[in-house]
Amino acid sequence: MSTASSRGWRTRALQDPAIGILVLLAVASTVIAFIEPTFATRGNVTNIINAMMTISFLAVGMTVVLIAGGLDLSVGSVMGLSAGVAANFLADGIPMPLAFLCALAVGTGLGLINGLLITKLGVPDFIATLAMLSLAGGALLYWTRGVPILGYMSEPYYYIGGLRRVVGPITIPMLLVVVIAVTVAIVLNLSKFGVKLYAVGSSSTGALHAGVRVDRIKIAAYAISGFMAAVAGIHLAGRTTTVPPSIGSGYEISAIAAAVIGGASLLGGKGRVVGALIGALTLTLTRNIINLTGVESSWQAVVIGLVLILAVLANQTWSDLARFVRPRPG
Amino acid sequence: MTTNDGLSRRSLLRTAGLIGVGVGASSLVACTAESGGTPAAGAASGAVGAPDAADLDKAIKAAVKGKEIKVGFTPPVLSENFTQIENAAWRKMYEYEQRFGCSWVWERQAPVGDFNAVQGTLGIVQAWVSRKFDAIAVCTGANFATVQSLYKNAASKGVKIYQFNQPAELYPEDQLQTVTNVGYDNRWQSGYLAGKYIADKLGGQGNILQIWGPSGSDWTRGRRIGFDKALTEHPGIKVVGEADGGYVRDKGFTAAQDLLTKNNKVNAIYGENEEMALGASQAIDTAGLKHWDGKEGILTVGADGLVSGYKQIRAGKLSATVDIGGVDQGQNLIEAIFATAVLGQAVTQIINNPTQVVDKSNVDWHQAYTEWALAAPKKYGA
Repeated sequence: MSTASSRGWRTRALQDPAIGILVLLAVASTVIAFIEPTFATRGNVTNIINAMMTISFLAVGMTVVLIAGGLDLSVGSVMGLSAGVAANFLADGIPMPLAFLCALAVGTGLGLINGLLITKLGVPDFIATLAMLSLAGGALLYWTRGVPILGYMSEPYYYIGGLRRVVGPITIPMLLVVVIAVTVAIVLNLSKFGVKLYAVGSSSTGALHAGVRVDRIKIAAYAISGFMAAVAGIHLAGRTTTVPPSIGSGYEISAIAAAVIGGASLLGGKGRVVGALIGALTLTLTRNIINLTGVESSWQAVVIGLVLILAVLANQTWSDLARFVRPRPG
Repeated sequence: MTTNDGLSRRSLLRTAGLIGVGVGASSLVACTAESGGTPAAGAASGAVGAPDAADLDKAIKAAVKGKEIKVGFTPPVLSENFTQIENAAWRKMYEYEQRFGCSWVWERQAPVGDFNAVQGTLGIVQAWVSRKFDAIAVCTGANFATVQSLYKNAASKGVKIYQFNQPAELYPEDQLQTVTNVGYDNRWQSGYLAGKYIADKLGGQGNILQIWGPSGSDWTRGRRIGFDKALTEHPGIKVVGEADGGYVRDKGFTAAQDLLTKNNKVNAIYGENEEMALGASQAIDTAGLKHWDGKEGILTVGADGLVSGYKQIRAGKLSATVDIGGVDQGQNLIEAIFATAVLGQAVTQIINNPTQVVDKSNVDWHQAYTEWALAAPKKYGA
């Protein structure tokens, strides 16, 4: 490797905001491992990875929307409704592939509706997805009459929920997250759609002038978010073995937080899949440490808030550092 | 103001009717036939044997004059627990409609979100007050002082407010602005019972994990007081870990997984509500640990008394739960509304209902009782 290319690699690594978070997580994990010996055990690491799956699915979808300059507040409710569809259909004896397809169709369809409301009717992202949050959540409440959906679990679903391991500590959701993350990363980095997505998020007017069909790109971004919410819902229904009517409540905040911690910008045009996963890991790790170290529950929300601020600061500090070391022209 | 802490005659009668299919109905009815209560309840007792039942029904019917009673019912969230309470209320409404000729208009609204979505509750109650409902039944996680102010305003406009399933015992009774509070004492009828059950089953020695609801919840506060009392009576029981499970299964599951990783010598897990306890039960399965079999394994105890929980007790996945008397709450709520808003009677400020630890030994009748309530006519709602 030449000196110039080596410097380029180092610069790119330094410019990656995810590195800042990873450094923070590494330091925090090392300290906690000394304080709490069970933290670094294989069992606990497996628990953490299993627990971060739901937020990971959502955060990947949210990152796509944020890159496009949007915001999807409906993912929690869409996830819940998709979980309800999958669980209810399975409980009614519908074959698993068909039940899952229906759940995915519901999630993707609601994402499409979000995109159409925003692009074709001019409803602001915040309002359109807030309305969808309420609609999808209300639909699940109405459908379930407030009673959890039960009796849909089968042996294969225990695997899909991550309650059974495939090989060693590996579960199906872990494999699925990897497959989805790699696929979405390839799409974002190597496809025309990815280039257009970043362009739309950076400047939709500029993208429009460059001949990008902005509306289509945004609609596709929301459809992907809805699809990912459905995947998360199918997984969560398997993990919890029941679908209570409030199953998705609050997950939208975790998804947004994970994406932003991972470097996605609320202003659009920035974001990476690996960052989303690191963001999901940060949130899950925080809660795990809180549980292991016995932080009094009144303080838990405070700790989580502080970690969020620290994570974003680490992200920014690393970006500033990267600018400082970046070779200047001439 | 007085408190009705005992096993109510009404609930005994209902229970008797249920158990009558199997054992002991006649003796229970005989034991309770001379108890006091509202005329409506008296008529109910007459229905199982008193000679003047028809006359009493007729007299009450004449007093009711076919009145329509408009009731608003707002739980903090829509859940299995509140669905059971609502269905039990419908049972009683249907019974009174048939017997006394009244009619009911029932509206249920819950705030969208979790237990903390209290602003939604306030808005719902204010809307019903302005629509001049006869009775509004509230259960909310909202601040005590805030809701008392709201209730006082409602009372000034002639709207009667009733609380159900609310930890009213944590606040000064003389500051309550409600007509009555139909519930149970979270300290001694839930937290204490669970703690004592665990201690008894473990023979006074063992390590336990606790999965609590969100910090600041009155239910959590009350149940913790009771559980702590049981712990002081059994110093051999050690709490080796606790976490916030947010009243939901997936958080309870994750929290229990984390705590079980840290503590490999755990004898029992207390989930402050049943969803969290069931999440803990899943964590036991996932960790490959053994559930309590009556002698060894990990005890898992929750609280609520849900049909889904009873099924898990039967399956050996949940050791026990505290039935917080949801069916009796629903029934007594309607009885209180009927007595006060229709007949103009006064009732006690606190109406506590019977609760009980349910395990394999008594799950049959608890489940049958709850399913009886859930089979209520659906003419008033979903």
